[in-house]
Amino acid sequence: MENLPLKELLYKMADDQLILGHRNSEWTGFGPLLEEDIAFSSMAQDKVGHSLALYTLLHQLGENDPDTVAFTRNAPQFHNCVFVELPNQEYDFSLIRHFLYDSAEALRFEMLTASSYEPLAQVAKKIRAELRYHTLHAKTWINQLGSATEESVSRLQKSLDYAFPYALGIFEQSPYESDLIAQRIFAGESVLKEQWLAKVEEMLAKTSLHMPDWKVIQPITGGRIGKHSEHLQPLLDEMSEVFRIDPTAEW
Amino acid sequence: MNSLDPRVVRLPKVGEEGKIFPKAPLDQFGTFEVFVQPKEGKPFQHEGIVHAPNLELAYVLAKETFTRRFVCVSIYVVDTRDVFVSPMTDGNLSAYEVLDEAKDGVGSKNFEIYHLVKRGKQHVHAGSVTAASHAGAMSKAKFELAQGKVVYNIWAIETSSIRFTMPEDREFWLTLPEKKFRDAADYKGGDKLTKFLEKNQTMKN
Repeated sequence: MENLPLKELLYKMADDQLILGHRNSEWTGFGPLLEEDIAFSSMAQDKVGHSLALYTLLHQLGENDPDTVAFTRNAPQFHNCVFVELPNQEYDFSLIRHFLYDSAEALRFEMLTASSYEPLAQVAKKIRAELRYHTLHAKTWINQLGSATEESVSRLQKSLDYAFPYALGIFEQSPYESDLIAQRIFAGESVLKEQWLAKVEEMLAKTSLHMPDWKVIQPITGGRIGKHSEHLQPLLDEMSEVFRIDPTAEW
Repeated sequence: MNSLDPRVVRLPKVGEEGKIFPKAPLDQFGTFEVFVQPKEGKPFQHEGIVHAPNLELAYVLAKETFTRRFVCVSIYVVDTRDVFVSPMTDGNLSAYEVLDEAKDGVGSKNFEIYHLVKRGKQHVHAGSVTAASHAGAMSKAKFELAQGKVVYNIWAIETSSIRFTMPEDREFWLTLPEKKFRDAADYKGGDKLTKFLEKNQTMKN
């Protein structure tokens, strides 16, 4: 298969956006307050939109059309990190995941605006504009609740400690890491991870939350090579239910 | 709970079997006023309110609550308590005519003045004035901004109490014109219903 390094990169990014977009959309109608429900749902919709833009790039490279790719694969064929497929718990977990994931996502697409693969650089510029709001939203809530009451701080800290090994799994190395770097398509997961750690540490320092000791944490990986938790397949079944009953349905 | 929506099925149970509890009091946030600029060069207009714990979160929540559908280039928010409101008038009587002239001297604070010129419409930004107080700002606006026009209601907001959009954050709305799918009309609900009814009719025949 041609362009394997590029396709692998696009698949894992698109799958991340689709799966987290779906997870976050599960809050629609159940958010902690109306305004937050609307904001979180809108951002979830943005993420699904990002996955569509990336699946479209894959389609242009000869892969199946976006709907087929999104709705007909099973869990082992997905390349998203395990972090994004974890079920929603209390809202503190969703906020922490939003904060950790979106910080990485914003840095990733910022880097990709300089990609040598021009169609990707163009898409990255648009995604970056939307992520500007997503990261402001995440940062503002973490600032607020991360320094508010004993309950809000301890709940966020607990979610942060739980989420961190999974968040480190975002940066699982691709087998094509050196090709991507050499071809200047993407500067690589290691560079991204360094930038992310610095950014997260800087933002947490403004709150009463403390940065987990990431040097001694074993990242939870495997998602990029199709090894997922038991939570992904039920999500896919739910997401593709209508498509599987009637692939021509409009809704 | 039995529901076809799996998210509803997953909701936590309400109450405890065999027990009766008093309803918990509402934990309610304060309100903030949201102003939207629909196009470059057009004035800001009042769009509505959001609930939030503070000004910064009000800004964050206002962005999606009021600008997820229609094209816009900027927003700002202010605490509801920072909006000073004149009496409301009717017919040919302007709200400026029922206000006493403020005699609080020359001031150096900036105020944003909003006018309601048509009942049932939004308050629209009329301009800015410099004054010592909200009342002083309205007195000044009467000559500088109203110029004899009938205005049914006037708002004065001290500029320093506003959370504005930073110039670099105008990128928030860059892709908004592409999000046509958020427009209710784009869903073509009526067409889908007609098609469905026709299909059902054909099946019956």
